[in-house]
Parts: sequence; C-alpha cells; structure tokens
Amino acid sequence: MNWLSYQHFPIYAIMVLFLGAFLVVLLGKNRVVRAALALLSVSASLALLVALVPRVMLGGEIIAYWMGGRGMSGGYAMGIALEVDALSLFFALLVAVAVFVACLYSIQYMEHDDNVSQYYTLFLLLAGGVLGLVLSGDLFNMFVMVEILTFAAVALTAFRNTVTGALEAAFKYLVVGSIGSVCILAGTIMLYAQTHTLSLAQLSLLLPGNLNNATKLAFALLFVGFGTKAFLVPFHPLAADAHGAAPAPISVLISGVLTKSGIYGIIRLVYFLFQNMDLGAIRFLLVVVGSLSMFVCVTMALAQHDFKRLLAFHSISQIGYVLTAVGLATTLGVSSGLYHAMNHTIFKGLLFLAAGAVLHETGTTDLNQLGGLAKRMPRTTALFLIGAASISGIPPFNGFASKWLIYQAAYQKAVESGHIGYLLVTIVALVTSTLTLASFIKVSQSVFFGRLPERFEKVKEAPFGMRLAMGVFALLCVATGLLPQAVVKTLTLPAAQAVENVGRYIAAALGTEMPAIRTVTAVEIGVWNPINWLLLLGVSLLSVTLVALLGKYDRVSENEGAVRAGGKYDLFFGGEKSVHSQVGGGDLFWGFKHNWRHYFSFMHDLHSGVVNDYALWAALALALAIVFSQIVL
Amino acid sequence: MILMNYICAFFLMALGLYTVVTKHNLLKTVIGLSIMDYGVNLLIVSVGFHPGGTAPIFSFTELHPESFFVDPIPQALTLTSIVISACVTAMSLALVMKIYEQYGTMDTREVRRLRG
Repeated sequence: MNWLSYQHFPIYAIMVLFLGAFLVVLLGKNRVVRAALALLSVSASLALLVALVPRVMLGGEIIAYWMGGRGMSGGYAMGIALEVDALSLFFALLVAVAVFVACLYSIQYMEHDDNVSQYYTLFLLLAGGVLGLVLSGDLFNMFVMVEILTFAAVALTAFRNTVTGALEAAFKYLVVGSIGSVCILAGTIMLYAQTHTLSLAQLSLLLPGNLNNATKLAFALLFVGFGTKAFLVPFHPLAADAHGAAPAPISVLISGVLTKSGIYGIIRLVYFLFQNMDLGAIRFLLVVVGSLSMFVCVTMALAQHDFKRLLAFHSISQIGYVLTAVGLATTLGVSSGLYHAMNHTIFKGLLFLAAGAVLHETGTTDLNQLGGLAKRMPRTTALFLIGAASISGIPPFNGFASKWLIYQAAYQKAVESGHIGYLLVTIVALVTSTLTLASFIKVSQSVFFGRLPERFEKVKEAPFGMRLAMGVFALLCVATGLLPQAVVKTLTLPAAQAVENVGRYIAAALGTEMPAIRTVTAVEIGVWNPINWLLLLGVSLLSVTLVALLGKYDRVSENEGAVRAGGKYDLFFGGEKSVHSQVGGGDLFWGFKHNWRHYFSFMHDLHSGVVNDYALWAALALALAIVFSQIVL
Repeated sequence: MILMNYICAFFLMALGLYTVVTKHNLLKTVIGLSIMDYGVNLLIVSVGFHPGGTAPIFSFTELHPESFFVDPIPQALTLTSIVISACVTAMSLALVMKIYEQYGTMDTREVRRLRG
C-alpha cells in the first residue's frame, strides 16, 4: 500500500492533531508560530477527511484499516482497526469543521490569556480524542479516546481558573465523567470476557442473539457511560457548569463535538453491537431519555440568567431531539436525527461564539446587566440572530429543516406502529421548540435590544478574526437550511443507511461473506421544501403588517375622537405610553414562570450544585439501566 | 478462587461509588474514584487469568499449540487503564488544591456556587 493511498487518510487525520498538540507546546513561544501550527493541523485534518467524502459517502465504501498491518486470521480480528463507514465519516466531518472554526476563533479570543500554547495543546488533544473515537473500530480504543477527551475537556474547563466556578465545574465534571469512564471500561471488559474480542465488527457478529446476564450488564454499563459523555438527562447539570466557565471556543467543542461523541457511542451500541433496536423497550428507552432531556433542559434554560449557562441547557435539549429521532429506528428517523446533530453543531457553535464575543467585549455574560448591545455590536447581533432563528426552527435556516424532518419521522412512526406514544413525542418536540423560541426572544431582548447601560457605552465590535469564525458558521446555517435535499442526499442518508446495513460493516472488517443481517436500501426523504414555508411566513408577516397599518388609519367618528385622543385606544397601536424600563433576564415571561413556579423551584432545589448529589444521580441512572437491561434484553 | 476476584472487583467498584456519593470531603471523593478504578483493574486482570497458565512471554519458535498461558491482552489493557487513572487522580488532586485555595474549604456542601 502506497503511503499516499486513501486508506491511510483516517489515521493521518488523527495523527496530525496529536502531532500538532506536541509541536505547539515545544515551539509555541511565539504567538504567530503557535496559531499557525494549530490552524495548520486542524485544516490538514479537515482536508484529509473531506478527501474521503466521494469514496465513503457517495461510493458507499467502508475503509477497514489495520494498524501495523496486523489484520485478521481465520475470521478473527487480531489487530487494532480503524473502521470508517459513512456514519463515522459523518461525525468526523462534524468534528473537523467545528474544531477548525473554534481554532480560527481562538486566535483572537485567547490573545490576552496566559499559557496559550498549553491551551492549544489541550485543544488539539481534545480534537484528536474525539476524532479517534469516531473513527475507531475497536472498543478499547474508544475507551482510551474517551479518557483523552474527558481529560482535555476537564483541563480546558478549568483553564481560566480565576473565573467564578471554573475549578468547581471542572471538578464536578471530572468526578461524574470518571464514573462514566469507569462504566465504559467495565462494560468493555465484560464484553471481552464473553467474546474474547474487542473489534466492533467482530462483536457485532457475535453478540446479537447470544446474550447472557453478563453481556446484558455490559449493555447497561456502556449505555450509561456514553450517556455521561452526551450529558443526557441525569447528567445535564455538568454541561451547564462546564459551559459557563470554559472559554467560548471550548464551549463550542463541548456542545458541538463532545456530546456528539456520546451520541455516536450510543448509536454504535444499539444499532451495531447489540442490534436491539427492533425491541420496543430499547426504542422506548432512547425516546424517553431523549424526550426527557428535551423538555427538562429547555425548562431549566428558561430559568437561567447567565447567557452561557442558558445556551448550555439548550444544547442538551437539542441533543434530546437527536436521541429521540435516532430512537425511532426508521431510516427517516436516523437520517433526520443525524441532520439535527449536524445543525446542532453549527448553530450552537455560532451562538456560543456570539456569547463569547459579548464576554470578550463587555466582560460579563449576566443577562441582568447586559442590554442594548445591538447599537455597539451590530454585526455580532446579526450573526447571533441567525443562530437564534436556526435553533428555534424558523425557516429558511437549518433548524427548521431538521426539526420538520424529526416531527415527520415521529408522526410517521406513530401512524405505522399505531402507537399513541409517538404522537406524544411529536407534541413534546413541538412544545420544546416553542419554549426554545421563547427563551431566545428573552436572550435577544435582554442582551442585544433594550437600553444600553452606561457602562457599556464604549463597547466595540468584536474583532475581525472572531467575526470571521462566526460568519463561517452563519453561512453554514443558511446553506444547510436552504439546500436540505443536497445535505440529506450527500451526508445524512448515506450515514443513516450505514446504520441500517450492519452486515456491510462487519463484512468490510472481517473480509467474510456478508452475514445475513438485515440490509436496508430504501430511500426515504421527507417531502417538504423550506422555500414554501418561507413564503408562508412572508405572507403571514405581510398580512399582519397590512392589518396593523389599516388599524393605524382607522376612521374615527366624531364622538369617539375625544376618547381616542392620544392614540390610547388605537387598534394594534394603542396602549399606555410609559417611560422605558429595562426588562431583566428573568422577567420577560414572568406570567409563565409564575404559573409554573412550583416546578421551577423544585427543579432549582434539585440542581443543588453538590457533587455528591450528581454522583448519586449517576448511581441511580446506572442502577435503573442495569435493572432495565436485565429485564428487557 | 477466581470467583472471589470477581466478587471483590465489583465490591470495590460499588465501594468507590458509595464513597463518592456519601463522603463530603473533596479528597475522599478523589479516593473513591481511585477505588473504583482499582476495582475495574482487578476485574480486567481476573478476566485474563487462567489457572496454571504461565506468563505470556514467548518468541515465535517457542510457541506451540499446547503452550498454556494467561491471556496477555487484558494485561495490556490494565496497564493502559492504570496510566489513565493515575492521570485522572493527579488532575483531580490539582483541582482540589486550587479549590481549597479559592474557597477555603474541602467540604463539597460548600463548593456549590454553580447551581440551579
């Protein structure tokens, strides 16, 4: 094999990141050199992965790469493999793009910090860890990569250790993250004890149909372990803490990349290793955990008054969408879930970078102190609004396309299976989307609009390098929203088909005849077009404007005129004239919050911030998962 | 005899988790995490153990179909896992030290500025 041949590209893509991590700390005294090194390694990694797209995504090829040429003999995997199918490449591309943009943003964002070369080292370690995780074809390697990325993420959370709560957040993340890692390792070794292999392909061949109590326990351990990495519901407070303290580019990585690695692990677990998605109970598990994450986190977000903490809860809420869609176990469901995963990386990245720009210029992310920044930072505001519209699912941005597909998939599943529960899921998803919109109206109102506090009179626009990074994400938001058919065809559908065709994954690694496991080739793409919905939105906007204008020029009869003086009773334009008052972070939806006050105060007390409580939740989740897996599998 | 190892391994894991959940001292939390790691390491080594097997060190000429040795892969896995848990312990101790400097306490119930 020629060393330039494409089979080597996956390992090169991982290697350049780790190599960059070492070189940055060796040669990174000069700020130009270290930025150039970091940018060079992430762009090289991105380029290598993009070069694989035609073969793996469009050609449907699966690259099985055995390290050191030690492959397999007699149908048994001997070596350590990297196995790249469309699913791996899909996640790898997400990672590479997010890492590239975050690195671009870091150059100016981290300018005033100490030890920036160590920052880049950890940054590249984190990137390499996630990339290694999604490209690996070996369960133990996945564990090692999980540890590398957890370690780097914890260190980066505490990087600005003078920020309030940074150390505390890092410690909590480390404790619960370690519990998750121990679960993954124990699960891995339980599987090894039963099957004597660590290769994902071999395990996918041996495990289904041969379950005993030990492998059932392993399922529960691995599920909880990857759930910790995705910050699914009992683990969501850690995400909020970590995001609040970490520098903005790291928030992009934690929300856009780390959570995806957890989702990737769960997909590999249920669709490949155990192949138990045809069990109703497992679909139930995924959909319920997903819907809970969706709803709990969006309501937690409504109660926040810190910009980044609020975004963090929304991040997990959107991950809930992804898990729910993946749990539907239809091609459309998986495809729409992956589409939403991609969009989540893009719009969440944009929002976190906008929050970082606000922090960089004003020095605070407290919603009660900010206000009126649109006057001082018009470009950042515009970019933020694109992200906010995307996450709330407003056409023509990408969030609309994927959320629409998810509703459609859930509804279709409800019709097909005749199960009323899936309709309920659709409703939860819609309500969550509405609450998301509400909370982003609150954020835009209290950060970018309203009155500008005096202390922010001299605030400047974010520097060019940071705006450029945000611009890339904003462009992707619009592009993936306007061309959904192209995205589905080139990216998400091949990945969804890879998920459904497990047999091909096994055959590619082991070189055996394709085992007789279900192969699905059906092409199902949702029937919808964002342009139509944009037109509909435009028409309704136009009619509202028209009615409002008519109301303004309403003819006033003589005797009513006196009453209406001052325009107090005008249609649509009436109301008391009042002096401007700043609406603080918490009180835009005070009526809603008042009605739900018992729920909110209960949730507030539950998220106590004591690390023992979070560990207890982890233990509880583990116990439930073990009982569940022993009963239903 | 090997059954005792398995029982001990899971007992250690449960004990570690219990420590993390119930103890309010940050250092004890770190100790609890380490105990969990020891439990898993014991589990891994026990999985590879065959009673009566020799050490898995052979050259290709010495290797016969009838040679009987313990499974070398779990031992390699244990080494990796030990290195990783040492790193995690070092990192968490460093964090505990910095937390003590900033908060002036080791009690988890007082290290809760981020909540709600």
